[in-house]
Amino acid sequence: MGNYTFKGKAAVSVAAIAALALSGCANVGGGGDENGGGDNGGGQEGGVVTVAETNAFTAVNNATAATNLDINGKIANATREGFIYVNPAQEIVPNEGFGSYEKTSDDPLTVEYTLNDPEWSDGNAIDKADIMLWWSILSGYHNDEDAEAETGTKYFNIAGSTDIMGKTDKPEFSEDGKSFTITYEEPQSDWEIAFDNDYLQPAHVVAEQAGMTEDELLKTLEDSPEGNPEDPQERPELEEIGKTWAEAFQFSDKPEDESLLVSNGPYKINDIVENNSVTLVKNDSYTGDNAGKLDEITVRTIGDATAQIQALRNGEVDIMAPGNVNKDTIDQVNELDNVEVIQGGQLAYDHLDLNFGADTFEDQAVREAFLKTVPRQQIVDQLIKPVNDEASVLNSQMWVTSQEEYGKTTEENQAEDLYGDVDIDGAKELLDGKTPTVRILYNNENPLRVDTFQLIKESAEQAGFKVEDLGDPNWSEKLADGDYDASLFGWVSPGVGTEMLSQIFKTGGGGNYNKYSNPEVDKLTDEARSNLDKDARDEQIVQIDKHTFEDGYGLPLFQSPGFFGVSDQIDGVTEYQPNQDGVFWNVWEWSRK
Amino acid sequence: MISYILRRLVTAVFILLGASFIVYMMTAASGDPLWDLYGHPNAAQLIPARTEALNLDQPPILRYFTWLGGALGCLAPFTDTCTLGLSREGMEVTQMLAFAMGQTIMLVTAGTILAIVIGITLGIVSALRQYSGLDYGITFFTFLCFSLPSFWLAVLLKEIVAISFNDFLQDPVMSLASILAIGVVAGLIWYLVSFGKLKTRILMGVLGFLVTSGIVYFVLATNWLTAPFLGIPLIGLTGVLVAVITTILISGLRNKRALYAGLATVLVGLALYFPVQSFFRGAGLLTVIILCLVMIAIGAAIGFFAGGYDRGQGMRVAGITGFFVALLIILDRFMQSWPNYLDSGHIRGRPIATASAATPGLTGDFWIMGIDRFTHLLLPTIALTLLALASYSRYSRASMLEIMGQDYIRTARAKGLSERTVVMRHAFRNALIPLATLVAYDIGALIGGAIITESVFAFTGMGQLFVQSVRNVDPNPVMGVFLVTGIVAMVFNLIADLVYSVLDPRVRVKA
Repeated sequence: MGNYTFKGKAAVSVAAIAALALSGCANVGGGGDENGGGDNGGGQEGGVVTVAETNAFTAVNNATAATNLDINGKIANATREGFIYVNPAQEIVPNEGFGSYEKTSDDPLTVEYTLNDPEWSDGNAIDKADIMLWWSILSGYHNDEDAEAETGTKYFNIAGSTDIMGKTDKPEFSEDGKSFTITYEEPQSDWEIAFDNDYLQPAHVVAEQAGMTEDELLKTLEDSPEGNPEDPQERPELEEIGKTWAEAFQFSDKPEDESLLVSNGPYKINDIVENNSVTLVKNDSYTGDNAGKLDEITVRTIGDATAQIQALRNGEVDIMAPGNVNKDTIDQVNELDNVEVIQGGQLAYDHLDLNFGADTFEDQAVREAFLKTVPRQQIVDQLIKPVNDEASVLNSQMWVTSQEEYGKTTEENQAEDLYGDVDIDGAKELLDGKTPTVRILYNNENPLRVDTFQLIKESAEQAGFKVEDLGDPNWSEKLADGDYDASLFGWVSPGVGTEMLSQIFKTGGGGNYNKYSNPEVDKLTDEARSNLDKDARDEQIVQIDKHTFEDGYGLPLFQSPGFFGVSDQIDGVTEYQPNQDGVFWNVWEWSRK
Repeated sequence: MISYILRRLVTAVFILLGASFIVYMMTAASGDPLWDLYGHPNAAQLIPARTEALNLDQPPILRYFTWLGGALGCLAPFTDTCTLGLSREGMEVTQMLAFAMGQTIMLVTAGTILAIVIGITLGIVSALRQYSGLDYGITFFTFLCFSLPSFWLAVLLKEIVAISFNDFLQDPVMSLASILAIGVVAGLIWYLVSFGKLKTRILMGVLGFLVTSGIVYFVLATNWLTAPFLGIPLIGLTGVLVAVITTILISGLRNKRALYAGLATVLVGLALYFPVQSFFRGAGLLTVIILCLVMIAIGAAIGFFAGGYDRGQGMRVAGITGFFVALLIILDRFMQSWPNYLDSGHIRGRPIATASAATPGLTGDFWIMGIDRFTHLLLPTIALTLLALASYSRYSRASMLEIMGQDYIRTARAKGLSERTVVMRHAFRNALIPLATLVAYDIGALIGGAIITESVFAFTGMGQLFVQSVRNVDPNPVMGVFLVTGIVAMVFNLIADLVYSVLDPRVRVKA
């Protein structure tokens, strides 16, 4: 700067004018190429990729109920790594750069983990204290809360459940502390995803924030006995650790204490501008296998989809991955020249559930008759295909189309045979002259659900059903009341893990709103959740899937369409990842062409 | 007077109380605060957690009084009792409000000031040339902007001013024919909006053609868009123009001393150009302000020593000229940083931004960051200015027309005063009185945020905070926004009334 001279410019301009006047040249401009626009742009700083996100960042720790937002999870995906990650096909991929694990015994289920000398970005090793903290959070080992009696304490108030790790003993560490063993009281089929990366926080930072040393923290976690709800204890140190874990990492702008920003992932947080952006820079002290290729990743919050698209066009952002997708957005993005659109189905899917607690659907024949009238292909053709022309009817309650197991289950579960085509005659036959009234609960502020409802209604009425519209913006409050015959809403499949089985399909499960109960399914659910053999487990889940269709549980309709819009300047974003990590799942592979 | 203000304030408190209760109840009743959690894989943990955090197990009336208790704590100074509650995400509402207000003020300030200045100018000019092409042109243009939906205008601006301009910047070349075509269009507009005899209008049209094509040619031929500059000649030229115009408006060209004072200030500014450059290295906002003040002071001093029968006029002319010359020198310095800005890895040669207030991750000195702010605020400012132009121009036109028809204007003319004095001294000032109310209201409304503009340009200001919280059925932030906008609106209403009575002696506040 400051090297500018007017003389130079004047000379150039005079020369340019003279040249033009002499030659009568038809084009004006572009002379003096020393500042020829953006051609040499990337050279100086290089390697910046900008991502547009819909929500604003609020916390480094996204594992508490208040901070469990998609954007926090995405940032965590770039700044935390653990023993595994999940690929777009929803398969578990071991991450050897962090550490390895091996199942050493089936009964009792025992897993041996070995750390590969991972480090935090400030040089502090990830060691015994970090693992103990990680495990304590996930297992809820020390909790002695009795929710009903309102006694005791839940030390780590996590957004997930302690279902998987809950029944394990304290990790047993080797002499050097580099390997440890987890022993389960009961077989647990989800053991591979037990150490959830989102729950890993730096023990030395938590300790410092809680006013203790890392050793004191380790000692507290190790020495405190298992919580007993019947005999709750006052344990102020544990409480302090839990509180610090939940609160210290919650900030929406850059904290003064930068130790809160330590990372063990390929990138680390460099700056946060409240409600606007998070700047990630390469983690130079990264020790694992998935080192970042870029100097910097900027994650910007742009709520409006049209604004995201225009920013993508203008080169202000390189990647957009909106949560809600409609025809309008996808059409606009498809029109962009330099942008590749990667489409896929989200893990969220819409489904129609019949209420087993309602009189209407007590009779299996009525359930089947109603489901036979549901025009699933028409719903997909009219509502989803315009957005994602590769969309298809979802034929499984267990897996989504992009998963390997989906093919296997659709061969077995007969969804296609039973409910593939609308069968009005078959439905009439089953109804045998009856004209039951079906009251359908759904969210009538969601245009997609309104349209789905209309299509179902038209079709069902042809078979003699009377369909009543229970559309309500407060549909969700009424879901548990059970005062409806059928409900139309969405689930988000977790992708990996079996917890959903007992939540939704088991008798009395927390998400079993339609009071579905089949002893055979209950048994299979329990078995599948503790089955350590993946193939046998998949077979059991296929059976559950089959049962739901045979019983007339309801029907899965379609997966919500999703897409990533990626500038052609970016390498490494090639597959649609439907889970909560979204486009960030392989953030270390991104680079600029 | 005092008792009047007190009475107004007391009423305001009661209105706020009542309104806050209604707003809280309406927000609480507007939906299910847990709506986004059903169907979530972690619903079993998330639902009880939020219920506890937001006291959802209590009826809304109780929650309102909890909120009110926290809000009343804000009235006690120097105590730590002030809380407007937490949002759904567990953030302090007071902190969210502070941030949102900052964003909103940044977004709308420039747009509002420009709208007021340009709008009033256009209104006065069109009133002075009523029923001329210029008048019709201004009316057409302002109403056109007024009727555009803001989201559409914003999208259009992004398309043309940002994306297309940035594309053009990659290879800023134009054929001579298109330059001439642009000139012809500009000439036509000049012809249409000019007034007077046909010969004058044609002359104006030709002038418009020449000036426009000349400027476009100059800009392209010197690669001005990628490496802009003013330099001594352009600063001098513009400075002289400013001096002449200021003289015409303030004292009339017959006051030669004032004119010479203005021109002398331009000369001093030019002399300072090179010394100031080194001073600018590592400069900040303070340096810039100091330069402006120094130039104003120099101008005033020159005006004072130029003397004459009216020192005041000379001081004003030269002071204003000095201010503008300072601005030009600063602008020139920003332009010197423009190529560096373009070359930055964050910008990659596409300077005009379509979203948010700054390029995240960009680092640089005052000048680079200033340019970055400019490129980001350019579009929203244009959009807000265009949208608000009509109300100011129409008000000021009507008000000016009314004043110009008053008896005292005729008297002033009959006294033999020059047209300049009649317009500037007698009409213009009085025409501004009704506008004072409008401006006060608008400034009060500013803080409420421009919901759509904020959303389209990805600013997370008050409007966004409000909309987002209503959507989330999250009463605490809604109440925060309501409280701030409500108080500001009432205060500015009061100020508007008081200002009116001060400006117009015919209106008196009943004590």
